[in-house]
Amino acid sequence: MAVTVRFVSVFRDLGVSRRLFVVEAETLEKTIDKLEVQIPGLKEKLVDSHGRLHPAYQVIHTKGNRQGLCSKLDCPIADGDEIVITPLISGG
Amino acid sequence: MYGFQGTMLIVDLTQGKVLTEKLDERFTRNHIGGVGFGIRLLYDRLEPGVDPLSPENMLVFASGPLSALGFMGSTGMSIVSKSPLTELIGDSDLRGSFGRDLKSCGYDALIVRGSAKSPVYLELTDRSVQIKDAGDLWGKTTAEVQSILSRRNEKGFRILSIGPAGEKLVKYACISGDVRFFAGRLGMGAVMGAKNLKAIVMKGEKETPIADPQAMKNLMKEIHYEVLHDGSCDTLSKYGTWNNTGPSNLKGTLPTKNFQRTTFDEIDQIDGDAMLSRISAGDRTCPGCPIGCRRVVKSEQPYRISPQYGGPQYETVAALGPTVLLGDAVAIAKANELCNLYGLDTISTGVTIAFAMECSEKGVLTDKDLGMHLKWGDPEGILQIIRMIAFREGAGDVLAEGVKRASEKIGRGSEEWAMHVKGLEIPMHDPRGKKGIALAYATAIKGADHESAMHDDVFERENALPELGYVKPMGRKEYQGKPLLVKKTQDLWGILSDALPICKFPMAPPRPLKPNRLVSALNFVTGWDVSLEEFLRVGERIFNLGRLFNVREGADRTLDMLPNRFSEPTPGGASTGETITKENLERMLDEYYDHRGWSKDGVPTEETLKRLELKAP
Repeated sequence: MAVTVRFVSVFRDLGVSRRLFVVEAETLEKTIDKLEVQIPGLKEKLVDSHGRLHPAYQVIHTKGNRQGLCSKLDCPIADGDEIVITPLISGG
Repeated sequence: MYGFQGTMLIVDLTQGKVLTEKLDERFTRNHIGGVGFGIRLLYDRLEPGVDPLSPENMLVFASGPLSALGFMGSTGMSIVSKSPLTELIGDSDLRGSFGRDLKSCGYDALIVRGSAKSPVYLELTDRSVQIKDAGDLWGKTTAEVQSILSRRNEKGFRILSIGPAGEKLVKYACISGDVRFFAGRLGMGAVMGAKNLKAIVMKGEKETPIADPQAMKNLMKEIHYEVLHDGSCDTLSKYGTWNNTGPSNLKGTLPTKNFQRTTFDEIDQIDGDAMLSRISAGDRTCPGCPIGCRRVVKSEQPYRISPQYGGPQYETVAALGPTVLLGDAVAIAKANELCNLYGLDTISTGVTIAFAMECSEKGVLTDKDLGMHLKWGDPEGILQIIRMIAFREGAGDVLAEGVKRASEKIGRGSEEWAMHVKGLEIPMHDPRGKKGIALAYATAIKGADHESAMHDDVFERENALPELGYVKPMGRKEYQGKPLLVKKTQDLWGILSDALPICKFPMAPPRPLKPNRLVSALNFVTGWDVSLEEFLRVGERIFNLGRLFNVREGADRTLDMLPNRFSEPTPGGASTGETITKENLERMLDEYYDHRGWSKDGVPTEETLKRLELKAP
């Protein structure tokens, strides 16, 4: 269940820019948990105080040639999928 | 009257006269300030059909009730006039402290009318208003004017100025604020140039009374705390608006090669991380704002770029980067610096250069026509054509008219490559991947404007904006529900933010400046008891007043259109295959007009006017 994860224009202070992460996980929540080991502090930023995906970020989920959003932590992720974490675009 | 000085300054440059008028509470409550004041004043006092570059046009600089506070970008102002680019209502917001400075001189708004016989500048203080000779400033860049007037005046004067582009009446010339902030869009700098007004310097110490300062202080403290601790503004603080570049490319909404594409092969050279690594020299912020989104840039090689002139924001990076196929962060920053010094709007400049490049590529403009070889992505060519536009040299003269007029003059099918709505060049969000923004571009009173309605991306999650009824997610590529969404957020985000005024960035969900808090801030400052419903109705009133102005100038449904290019499917990226066909746009317009209470032709009905306490033209 290898999932690749990229970060675009977020968390530069955590040293994730331009790096590709590969983790084994079945859901977004587990992906974040696995990443937290490599990127300490990530979970605190990505998950809000209510235990939900922080609304300031979007998780773009690419499955084959289809792109969608993972908006909940229990979003299922499959082997070969790609996850990209970005800030929410709000114009300007 | 709390929140206001209660006085408007009128300067007639033809007669060399200065007078003041009192503002009454009915006027202020019905229009709040900023863009609301500007549109109302132009609607009431400008004859239809006036040439925007004639002495008869008016240029309104208006603050709002929040301007006197150091509160999240509230110290800015709106600059409103009949636009030389669209010949319709035009406004451009100017951040920084200029709204507060105007208030400190004792005025809520400044109207400039007429035209001076020779170049002048205005000096405003809380004791006097003087029209001064600007013969020695004419021909100078914004930076040179800044330097001269800073030396001439005591410390603390704020300086608005135009560069050579404004003097040469380039239709998209901007107004500089201390050469760090810019009222970029719609040619307000050309209107200033047509009046022979090179600069305005301001300094005053008049206090604006606040009805409940303690309540306002508590609210500001609460919001500032959330900005710093709830994570909603983190990427904006760290990356500035450069945080948009990478995600926009990823979503296939990044205008590339004059909107022929929506993804850029060299994105890694210009995205937020690249800009921070290569040219960032820190950040600046507007007074009182804890976010600090304005990036400052610096470089020595291959181009020398001074941090004194700020740095390019997202719109500029995209307009002078992917739109012209330039993937060099330093060259983009240099192009931005030239635009700032010459006084050009960076969005219109980039889109106009892209238009010229497409004309060149397709053989409609030859090297001889252009006086140069202009090819996609060539930094030297881009820097050269910027100068030619600013000074109206050679082919720069026709390009200085904007893509609409330039394409009409050039002809030979080039109209199809002129990317504009109502004459205003399209900003840096390809609308095919955002159906709400497509409708917002088509219907905004000032033409294609990226800040006229909230972006579709914001509404892709639950509970995006419950105050306006948005609790269920809406896909960015979907049509359903977008007409009402655009109508509501045009009134709130597009209009009311510029009336208060307040920066739009902290208002974008999930950031903490929510509608109810804006209403509270307004009431704490003015002592009014405005409800959210009344507040939104003011936004609707101002929007409709702008529409009435345009209708009086001859605008109708036929102008609420998008370029044909958007009916072609996007060729790649995550918005592959997306279109905005004429039929789909017409369907959205029908529904949007219904929500607005407009006729099928796009004219506010009698019933709508009555509800909003407006009169037909």
